[in-house]
Amino acid sequence: MEQRLANSWRMSVNDKKFIEEALLSDIRIDGRGPFEYRRLTIKFGKEDGQSEVQLGHTHVMAYVTSQLVQPYRDRPNEGTLSIFTELSPMADPSFEVGRPGELAIELGRVIDRGLRESRAVDMESLCVVAGRFVWAVRVDLHIVDNGGNLIDAANIAALAALLTFRRPECTIGGEDGQEITIHPPEVREPLGLIIHHLPVAVTFGIFGEDKSLVLVSLVLHISIDLSRHGGRMTTTVNSNGDVCAIQKAGGEGVMPSEIMRCLRVASVKAAEITQTIKESVDVYNENRSLRHIKRHLKSAPVEVRVPERGTEGNETGGVATDFSKLSSSEAGGSPMVTKGEEAPSGDAVESTEDPEVKPLTLKTPSLKQETQSPQRTLRDAVKAKQKKKKK
Amino acid sequence: MKGEEISSSAPLNKDLVDKMVVPGDVILDLSKMTNQTIKLGSGLCQDGDTIRVIKAGRLRFSKPNKYWIENSQKRYIPSAGDTILGIVADCRPDNFLVDIKGPTLAYLPVLAFEGGTRRNIPKFEVGTLLYVRVVKANTGMNPELSCTDAGGKAAEFGPLKGGYMFESSTGLCRMLLGSPACPVLEALGKRLSFEIAVGLNGRVWVNASSPKTIVAIANALMSSESLSGVQQRILVEKLMQSPALS
Repeated sequence: MEQRLANSWRMSVNDKKFIEEALLSDIRIDGRGPFEYRRLTIKFGKEDGQSEVQLGHTHVMAYVTSQLVQPYRDRPNEGTLSIFTELSPMADPSFEVGRPGELAIELGRVIDRGLRESRAVDMESLCVVAGRFVWAVRVDLHIVDNGGNLIDAANIAALAALLTFRRPECTIGGEDGQEITIHPPEVREPLGLIIHHLPVAVTFGIFGEDKSLVLVSLVLHISIDLSRHGGRMTTTVNSNGDVCAIQKAGGEGVMPSEIMRCLRVASVKAAEITQTIKESVDVYNENRSLRHIKRHLKSAPVEVRVPERGTEGNETGGVATDFSKLSSSEAGGSPMVTKGEEAPSGDAVESTEDPEVKPLTLKTPSLKQETQSPQRTLRDAVKAKQKKKKK
Repeated sequence: MKGEEISSSAPLNKDLVDKMVVPGDVILDLSKMTNQTIKLGSGLCQDGDTIRVIKAGRLRFSKPNKYWIENSQKRYIPSAGDTILGIVADCRPDNFLVDIKGPTLAYLPVLAFEGGTRRNIPKFEVGTLLYVRVVKANTGMNPELSCTDAGGKAAEFGPLKGGYMFESSTGLCRMLLGSPACPVLEALGKRLSFEIAVGLNGRVWVNASSPKTIVAIANALMSSESLSGVQQRILVEKLMQSPALS
């Protein structure tokens, strides 16, 4: 008992009085406005479905994995989504290893409800064989550093990870149509999840006495202690203005008008955060596809005749139009189409050669030489792809 | 490896002074030294014939014979003689249980006050902020505190009223307590009037006339740990110019 007393976070009466007094004059300890968030940074890991979110001092990591399982009896054609939270003791001295405390369970439940009840992740597309095999998506949230407002930060981490997660593609085969082949990512490009909207959690701390309630978003854990008698409320809304979930556990009663006010503030915040998440995910996807292109270039030289995408960045106008022609012809636009081009390197420039291609070819001396047809057409591109597949 | 180095020549303590050391390093070999008294500070312990490092940090030496390890941590390891800020966690008949940000709670005897008798035991509610001194701190036991100095006088120890306390690392607190005064405190002191109490356990209490000033000072101190002297002065300049402060 004493050990738990020693580890629990405590606030002095001086702090309580000071924070309340300061809040009444609209001052917060770190100089923020009452409805301002701390700085949000979203980073991604090397694999798909790994995200790391920092909201001020709070640091949360999310990992998404998937597995083929049997579906629930009452939902034979839907996949499953489960959230697991782990509050590491290095995040806060009051977190203990082993049994999840109240906070961990509440955190998991609020995020789970936000994603599941609002049907943000499409479950039916995760079905492979109805009644027998469905994808079970599992989100693991690790709290690495507790600087307050874990629910908001963990929610953003879960959303970012789900947006960048890709599950392997599988095909049904076999004699009775019941065999499933899961293709490794090198053979078939993995697929992302279908996410309809992004439910964003915004937490408010309720302070003040009598009727004048001061609402503050992005509560630090200091203020959470204070707001024990005022209450804490988490609203999960999306950028369309839909309310996905509300959680108000304990605390004093709040007027409905105040709750509506919170919801309005939350929807504005949700739009901002959705924007930030989408931007980071776009950057990540771009880097990911660039990485795939580089990966193929490093493999053994292959006879292809597809214009090279400028890895050095000297993609000129001429090449770009060819490339766009190619990508439109390929269904799905798999990055395998953009292979390095074979062109005479070091040779004198042939008059028939496209002059814009010159700067690119000089930088790829390792590729084999091959006579170049005077005009590259769509057919060449298709042929090249077939050649590659045979190898 | 270190042991061989030490045995080959005179005690190599000079080489490691002011250098970063890690737990396990041997800094002194007592068998090589004649009758000397050596005072060990925190982070060092005697292991048979050798003095070993048990905390990562920088080894410091002060004449004639004091050695200790200096580092900056979020958690505090109590050591005797430190002045710290504690928060009352519980009241018992004989002691107050005080949270000092260490591995265990500390005991503050109800009589450890100037002129303290059974009749005038102070009434501290849970959450009171106290400025106290560590009397005893042995591993495995709860540390003992006192609200008097070694001579029995009150000397500023006791409960702190008002103000705001924030937590930071032990390194920042040592910097704030250093003499001559660290640049950020000097610069702030020239423009604003405030009072602070610094605990070696990573807690700093600030009090000033208006909440805005308190918030500004607290933020300035929190961000000044890794800054050099010049940078600290620039930080305070920028703070003074911002419209928030009059």
